[in-house]
Amino acid sequence: MSANPGQNAVLADAPAEQARAPRRPPAAIPVGGGKGGVGKTFLVANLATALARAGHRVVAADADLEGANLHTCVGVADPGPSLADFVAGRTDEVRSLLVDTPIPNLRILAATHGNFGHAQPSQADRVRLMRQLRELDADYVLLDLGAGTHPAVIDYFMIGEAGIVVITPEPTSIENAYAFLRAAFYRRLQLAMLSHRVRDLVALAMDERNERGIRTPFDLLREVRALDPTEGARFVETMRAFRPRLLVNEARTAEDVKLGFSVRSVCRKFFGIDAEYLGYVNHDEAARHSVRSRRPVVEAHPRSDAAIYIERVARKLVAGLARSGSTAEEEA
Amino acid sequence: MKPLFEQDHYEVLEIPRDAAPDGVERAYRLILSTYSEDSLAGYSVVRGADAAAIRERVETAYRVLSDGDARRSYDASLAGSRSAGEPEPMPEEEVVEPRSAPAEPFEDLEEGGDFDGARLRRARLRRGLDLEEIAGKTKVNPSYLGCIEEERYSELPPRVYVRGFVMAYASCLGFDPGAVAASYMRRYDAERPRQRRRFSRGT
Repeated sequence: MSANPGQNAVLADAPAEQARAPRRPPAAIPVGGGKGGVGKTFLVANLATALARAGHRVVAADADLEGANLHTCVGVADPGPSLADFVAGRTDEVRSLLVDTPIPNLRILAATHGNFGHAQPSQADRVRLMRQLRELDADYVLLDLGAGTHPAVIDYFMIGEAGIVVITPEPTSIENAYAFLRAAFYRRLQLAMLSHRVRDLVALAMDERNERGIRTPFDLLREVRALDPTEGARFVETMRAFRPRLLVNEARTAEDVKLGFSVRSVCRKFFGIDAEYLGYVNHDEAARHSVRSRRPVVEAHPRSDAAIYIERVARKLVAGLARSGSTAEEEA
Repeated sequence: MKPLFEQDHYEVLEIPRDAAPDGVERAYRLILSTYSEDSLAGYSVVRGADAAAIRERVETAYRVLSDGDARRSYDASLAGSRSAGEPEPMPEEEVVEPRSAPAEPFEDLEEGGDFDGARLRRARLRRGLDLEEIAGKTKVNPSYLGCIEEERYSELPPRVYVRGFVMAYASCLGFDPGAVAASYMRRYDAERPRQRRRFSRGT
């Protein structure tokens, strides 16, 4: 498939210094959360726009073939090329599927026109997709993940260490977020462990009602150490490297703001996962209006509460990635 | 990361070793509420006996770290165990200190510009404070504080009171009260005549 005709317009708009600078892989930022309706797509669209407005070259990829609407949130009515073309084998080149948006510096990989007969790509396709996303000529690649904890969703969270987990102040969201984090951590472990016996043990632990009574990663670590001390050390390394970022959406009260700290505490004390509290976005009618007008709120209503909070989260994200020197290359 | 029952008191409260007494207090309240029976964050994973055991561990840590003498003695015992070369329970696991103190989340991202109601609300939320807490400290009715944030000027008492309320509120948030009041009242003076004078009519 040929490249989108307007694709290069974004690159032409990029500052000359960026064009001349040696190319480095983009920082990949998957955005998940387990539950649908918590605002993942809205946040991806707006964080991507905030980063693009700050002069970064950004690609926002919709990884939700069953509920694609990222394109709508950034004002692209019919993107044409889509991830579905890659899944269906109509093209092997992800970059040829990128589409310009009305926002300078922001391109999207849409997920429209999926084949509902086999909506999800195979694991091999997911690996190829993530590899190509990490090779894109961009500063940041954000991935909008679907709901649930199926490997088809969780695998995308592996694309970078800077993954964001979106929660809202509701029990259903919190419950699903823990399930998502647990699934993501165990999936990461499965990929990191070398011994078959330990991988089998991790697979067993993924069943919450497993017969060995393994309830938390700490329980699992104890068992892994008993089985294979070398794998135990690898386990600890994996645990240490897994640093998901928590983002509270639809915060209305001070209690909602504190929720991020409480979830972080549970992650640390109960799961052994050192999550970071990235920030929160206030409930704001301007957000709803912006979705209805199919424009990111940071562009349509830049002085609104929601826009100010999102800009702040974007700045914190960039600062955190710069501190950790995180790039997709290092994370891979 | 260490399992809870291998953590020292600072790790239990998720605070750095040099945390000030009010930081210890805030962290204690936050952790205790996190593991309370009706906690939104904890109820789905930490229940019953597990939650009670965590609360007990948190209470023990707080008892020691909130008492100056007990804390000094505890710090000395921590330093002693290090200098005696006792092995850590899990030596290969690095304890990661919290990167920001609880309840003072994003102080490094303070905004610039004028002070309007929305900015005061954002600053309040950033500090993890609700209107009732501000009202408790300032003795200003929380409904007036809400009107200040939402800029519903016509529902507020006369100007001189509003200025006083704004100064008290600003002071509570750690801002310069005079600067905030000057900025806020400029906006008030421009907008107030446009709003219906419900309060002055006594309705």
